[in-house]
Amino acid sequence: MTAATETDRALVDRVAKGDRAAVRLLFMRHHARVYRFVARQTGSEMMADDIANEVFLELWRQAPGFEGRSEVSTWLLGIARFKALSLLRKKKEDWIDDEAAAAVPDSADTPEVVTMKEDKAAALRRFIDALPEEHRTVIDLAYYHGQSVTEIGEVLGIPVATVKTRMFYARKKLGEALKAAGYDRGWP
Amino acid sequence: MSAAEKMSRRDEMEALLPFYLNGSLEGAELEAVEEWLASDPAAMAALGEAEAEFSGTSAANEAIRPPADALSRFAKALDAEAGPARMPTGSSWLAQAWGRFMAVPVGVAWAAAAVLLALIVVQSLVQPGGKGKDFEIAGAEDDLAKMPFALVKFKPDAKMSDVSSFLGGNGLRIIGGPTADGVFRLAIPAANTADYSKELGLIAAQPFIETVIEGRKPADGG
Repeated sequence: MTAATETDRALVDRVAKGDRAAVRLLFMRHHARVYRFVARQTGSEMMADDIANEVFLELWRQAPGFEGRSEVSTWLLGIARFKALSLLRKKKEDWIDDEAAAAVPDSADTPEVVTMKEDKAAALRRFIDALPEEHRTVIDLAYYHGQSVTEIGEVLGIPVATVKTRMFYARKKLGEALKAAGYDRGWP
Repeated sequence: MSAAEKMSRRDEMEALLPFYLNGSLEGAELEAVEEWLASDPAAMAALGEAEAEFSGTSAANEAIRPPADALSRFAKALDAEAGPARMPTGSSWLAQAWGRFMAVPVGVAWAAAAVLLALIVVQSLVQPGGKGKDFEIAGAEDDLAKMPFALVKFKPDAKMSDVSSFLGGNGLRIIGGPTADGVFRLAIPAANTADYSKELGLIAAQPFIETVIEGRKPADGG
């Protein structure tokens, strides 16, 4: 089996046996996504850089105990999530709570002005970026990281029903923001 | 009733659309979404909106560019973290090494063993105040060449651990070989022929020895 076709799990097995080339291969495969995931959560590329490195060092440390109950990508994102939260708590940064999460993205411009400045795709991207962290994370994990409901639950440590609820509210907020910007998509 | 349970069918389908798009939906939920897409005119428009979200999310993520030197910095951090190469789990490194050792032809394996043992002996001798347990070697090749020796052949299934333990425990070491038929020259730390004969008897009694042939005896000539 060549490195290109070797599965992530096979590479983790090699890492567990002390194979540094295997951990570098996994780094090349997953680093960008882990980095982006952390950067989106923390809003800091500096923190993303540190944490992404730490995630792969953790992979090196924990590989012998990896039981393969989840995909390697899910496992790595779970580690990244945990480390990001730990670091943010350490820095005593405030998390956006549910009430704050209900707020539509603020803008100095009225929706009409914003609409004039950008097309729908650009507006949508801006609204996605402005979603509360807990909602944006499920959007990122589903759309960008290709995670299932169950996998998102594993990464975030929440029940699958909560994943669906957060997805529902995330998409609802996007719909409302688009509607306010003059793009009515018919739901909600 | 939870918020999820309160969702209308449309709400539920909207919540599942991202997972339909990323291909992770299965079972009853997949069937429900497919049925909705096939039966509700609004569903296809909703799917188009989800696709736009998909594109927007991808673009937002792809806009974040990891540093180009991330891998090289990680490799350094890994080296600092890992230190010496980790040995395979499940069996000792010695067992692993032995497995590899036994996989090569016996003659080659024993040649490697001879080199290894010679290196170990030389290393012990160059340590400050280093002396052999039972004898002392000046280290010069001339001295080695004048030492009493025997010619030995090990059985093909001899275990490296047994051989090295026996040789080390008795002050013996391999100083040459193997020949094409697997014969090694073994230095014998004997001061006289009586000791020499005693050593050869001991060597011949070992289960991993196939043959022992007398070589040069000590200078007393017996």
